Amino acid sequence: MEEITREQWLLNRRQFMKGAVLAGTGAALAKLGIFDLGPAQAQAGPEHFLSGPTADYEVRTLCEMCVWRCGVIAKVRGGKIEKLDGNPEHPHSLGNLCARGQSGLMMTYDPDRVLYPLMRVGERGSGRFRRATWEEALDFTAEQMLRIKNTYGPEAMIFSSTHNLSQPLFENLLNAYGSPNYGTQRSLCFNAMVTAHLLTLGIQEPARRYDGMNYIILTGRNLMEGISTSETRQLMERIAQGAHVVVLDPRFTKTAAKAAEWLPIRPGTDLAFHLALIQVIIDENLYDRAFVERYTVGFDELAEAVRGYTPRWAAPITEIPEATIYRIAHEFAEAAPYAFAHPNWRTSNFINSFQTERAIAVLNALIGLCPEQGDCIFADESTVSLGGPPQPPYPRVTAMRLDGVPWKYPLVPLKLGVFQEIRDAVLTGQPYQARGWFFSRQNPIMSLPDMARTIEAFKKLEFIVSVDIILNDSSWYADVILPEATYLERYDPLHAVGSRVFIRQPVVEPLGEARSALWIYRELGRRLGLEDYFQYLDEEDYIRQQLAPFGVPLEQIKQVGYFDAPVPERSGERTWNTPSGKVEIASETLRKAGFPAVPVWEEPPRPPEGRFYLLTGKVGQHTQFATQNNAYLQEVDYHTQDLWLHPTAAAQRGINNGDLVRVTSDAGAVEVKVWLTEGIRPDCVYLAPGFGHASRGLKKAYNRGVNASRVHVTFTDPVSGGQALTQTFVTVERA
Amino acid sequence: MALKKRYAFVIDPARCIDCRACMVACRAEWNTPAGQTRIWVHSDGPRGQFPNLSQTFVPAQCHHCEDPWCVSACPTGATFKRDSDGLVLIDEEACIGCGLCVNACPYQARFRNLETGKADKCSACFHRVEAGEMPACVATCIGGARLFGDLNDPNSTVSQAIAGRAVYRPINDQVNTRPMTLYLSPPDASAVQVSPSPRQPVPAETFWHTVALPVVKAAIALAFGGQALAFIFQLFKGENEYEEA
Amino acid sequence: MSREKLTLEEREALRQQTLVKHYTANILTHWFNAAMWLLLLPTGLGILLGKVYPFVPEAWNNLMNQIFGGLAPLIYWHSIIGQVWFFVLIFNVFFGFRKYFIPFAATRMFMDKDDWKWLMIRPFQMFGLKKDKELPPQDAYNGGQKLYSYLVIFGTVVIGVTGLIMTYSESIPTSLQWIIQWAMPLHFLAAGLTFAGVIIHVYMGAIMPEERQAFFSMFNGKVNGLYAYLHHRKWYERKMAEKAAWEDHYNRQLAQSQPPADAEPAPQGGD
Repeated sequence: MEEITREQWLLNRRQFMKGAVLAGTGAALAKLGIFDLGPAQAQAGPEHFLSGPTADYEVRTLCEMCVWRCGVIAKVRGGKIEKLDGNPEHPHSLGNLCARGQSGLMMTYDPDRVLYPLMRVGERGSGRFRRATWEEALDFTAEQMLRIKNTYGPEAMIFSSTHNLSQPLFENLLNAYGSPNYGTQRSLCFNAMVTAHLLTLGIQEPARRYDGMNYIILTGRNLMEGISTSETRQLMERIAQGAHVVVLDPRFTKTAAKAAEWLPIRPGTDLAFHLALIQVIIDENLYDRAFVERYTVGFDELAEAVRGYTPRWAAPITEIPEATIYRIAHEFAEAAPYAFAHPNWRTSNFINSFQTERAIAVLNALIGLCPEQGDCIFADESTVSLGGPPQPPYPRVTAMRLDGVPWKYPLVPLKLGVFQEIRDAVLTGQPYQARGWFFSRQNPIMSLPDMARTIEAFKKLEFIVSVDIILNDSSWYADVILPEATYLERYDPLHAVGSRVFIRQPVVEPLGEARSALWIYRELGRRLGLEDYFQYLDEEDYIRQQLAPFGVPLEQIKQVGYFDAPVPERSGERTWNTPSGKVEIASETLRKAGFPAVPVWEEPPRPPEGRFYLLTGKVGQHTQFATQNNAYLQEVDYHTQDLWLHPTAAAQRGINNGDLVRVTSDAGAVEVKVWLTEGIRPDCVYLAPGFGHASRGLKKAYNRGVNASRVHVTFTDPVSGGQALTQTFVTVERA
Repeated sequence: MALKKRYAFVIDPARCIDCRACMVACRAEWNTPAGQTRIWVHSDGPRGQFPNLSQTFVPAQCHHCEDPWCVSACPTGATFKRDSDGLVLIDEEACIGCGLCVNACPYQARFRNLETGKADKCSACFHRVEAGEMPACVATCIGGARLFGDLNDPNSTVSQAIAGRAVYRPINDQVNTRPMTLYLSPPDASAVQVSPSPRQPVPAETFWHTVALPVVKAAIALAFGGQALAFIFQLFKGENEYEEA
Repeated sequence: MSREKLTLEEREALRQQTLVKHYTANILTHWFNAAMWLLLLPTGLGILLGKVYPFVPEAWNNLMNQIFGGLAPLIYWHSIIGQVWFFVLIFNVFFGFRKYFIPFAATRMFMDKDDWKWLMIRPFQMFGLKKDKELPPQDAYNGGQKLYSYLVIFGTVVIGVTGLIMTYSESIPTSLQWIIQWAMPLHFLAAGLTFAGVIIHVYMGAIMPEERQAFFSMFNGKVNGLYAYLHHRKWYERKMAEKAAWEDHYNRQLAQSQPPADAEPAPQGGD
């Protein structure tokens, strides 16, 4: 091996000096001049003795900075959480945590936390509260909820919550109470993805496998910024190993920066792109005939339907060259079974998003979802069946749902609902007037489109109660705020990932009088006369009952952080949880409901002359609307709050980089600083969600950046009920 | 005697996704005051023209140089290069927060901690490393862009990572401190932020070296030499016990 | 030395006289100062890095580090000793301000023409030059000593203040960091120059035979008349005049009445 001298290192190559290719390791390294420890480099003399931060003890628990639920090892010193590390034994963290996970302790130590039950004393929305005892707050809440139930019926009480481990208990509370009106984040997020995959594969959240994958199509899934720790890591690993990743996104995201190919597709036309891929794959016999024949129904109908969806047809619609579409179809099919089109996550973009997701599910089926040998590209969902307290039947509900499921949206799964419709039903009073709203760890004022309407709806109600950790924008309008402990201070129901069952347990005692959701819902249940639905003494008792079928003592899972449940043997022919038991390329369910049985093109609306598509998306340092007040995250979310605008479009309007611009939609207007970038289509602007909080109770996040939900207009996908967030068209002018 | 360790960061910008988890991990580990940070992820805006764009993210921190200018600049010796593993560390108790090291570092890797008033910078989480863990930033790095380990150990992750690959040290014409961060790809345009630039010494430092030091040297030499001469003269002259008062 | 030669008898008579040159408070302060310097100088040099400041061999750094168990404790003790030193001196000056410091400054520090003349001659004589030149009469301190007193007072203040700045540098905001940065070279400069003075001071005080009386006076406070007459003629004459005045005054009181058994001696003034 040729020896490289230090002089060679010093040869200038402009800014950086290129090194030698190191052909060997170890011993070889020592031979290289560049790696020799130069003479007398180290300071002689006695060593300094330094000590770093140390921990008294460690607790294994689960993260809750987003919904991915990574395993966390929390280090505690002097009763204070010092540091959170990723748990290498958890398949979702693999030893890593993202920025949000790392910042988790600052949620617990946020000075703006609600530490005691609060009751409103001023006007609603004035933000004036007084401290109350738990007794008082719970009694008052139960009294109001019973009054509404007895006067207007239980359906007059709206419940809403977001994805968290205690959500089943909240649902237990509202089902026992008897209200059909339940709003979640789902219709603002993944309704299209879940509905499409349930109808096609009978799987609601297809879990992606990355091992060996060589070709991945991401339709707007921005994994490098919408981070799911293990998945992001696996994707990066595949990219580093040379996998070809295609990103369809009107915006040059960080995922696009890492991908082999970025296709700035026209918003809302991903469906056309995927239909064209399907057309080529069928037309040129590139699909997996064996899989299609054995496991799918409706292939012929699809082949007939997509005949006209050629790359030539798709090119002007998507603004992606015909040849590129054609090439990707070939490459994708040829890479199978080491290829998949990502089913995505938040798909609430256009009213055709459901069809886009159907096309993606069908595309994956065509190239052979499950090869003869090896694993399917989507893993099976967890089959672990945990124990739990006795569950009496819920009262029969006869009232119509305010969100229009199923009377207006026949295909939206009951579980998912159409949240934005509930808000509008409060305003219209149709089909009946809602009187109260109970939301738990949710922030509809920020998350629903058209913020002004949400606030209006809140003001129309007789009673609002919230369970919250910090004084979020929606809690600002509540009559009673019940303080929940943070995820580092409380127990939650167990969480299974595959066959491994994890525990979330307190790392430290809750600050103030914050309590776990398990405790709050049980106490409220008792006061509502629903104690039979909450048959557990305390949080530990609840978890013991969950563990009972496995004979695992609580102490063991607390110590280790998880236990492995027995894996059921798979036997016989693979079936799919659909009406036909097969992958439904053509869905009879859809046909019966009056929708096309196979994916077909639906033209999305285009912005009128002079308007832009308003894109939304993810910031890698924040989760939705929940983390903007976190002191640690505020340190690293630089360069995320400006409006993205293409220089060409800016030049036409005389806008310069850094200017304050006014963004106006049919719903409202905001003024925001502009960032001119080549990384966005000239017909789009992008504004990150979650900033510009309206609650003065969030001292650090209040008015920091602007709130995109002030300009988002409400449109609902008729099939999946998803909110079409990108269907908001805006004008941009200098403010 | 055990072989000395030679710790180095190996950074693969191609794997960095600019999620900044490393920056939060570092902040949480060291409780860095708001507005200050020990580590960075540098990035350039997308380069090129729509739709042909590229963007690079380059993690950086103290490079634990083999020829650390900060160590040379430290008047108390609080900043030192540890003999056993090559880490450049700060003994906070010996630091008087004068900031000469902050000024001396051509990478701007140092700052004066707003809360402690002492010099601060990446310490490679030496306490974690000593306990067999990775530095906080490396441990949490999702993309696997940040690696750390002993170059003298052929089985370490860093030795494995650079095996057979070109490595790049962030040095240039003006500055070669022999940094112990090896980049696995040329950080091209981001080099503006990663590339070192020497800074002028502060006036007090110049005064020290060009005025105080020569003046003191001269004064002591003069005084000592004068008295030595006088003493020699005295010896020649001898003493007269009757003259004495 | 004065022009007129003393006779042997006169010399002997002068030798028998005893004059108080230093009060106990001053003597204690002097030796306290010296002891602290003995601790502060080696530790201070030990902090300066041999590599950066070639003033000190690296071996000295290592020795000091090893004695104190590391750099941080070395710096810690240097600053502790330094603070004891500085605050005791301030305390002494503060509480002895009227009684010791003002008279000292007033009568022993002002330079007059004779002092300058003396300075032009005496240093050369130490090397056998300007032997024929007559030295002008000097007060309690000669010109060199007076200059040295300025150096010591100025040096002490600078060293003390800059030392305190460095000790409590944590509380200096970064925007005022230049204060710490300037404190270091000034501390170094002041200590270095004072130490250069100390070299001369020690030689003159402890080694030179002609100043032996001065050396012993730093222990018992006294010098004999001959030394005072030869080296500090102005002071000697003033002291004699004072003594005569006091004796005259005393005698007059004695004449008026029987002297009280516990008569307070009048302050001797000047010292």
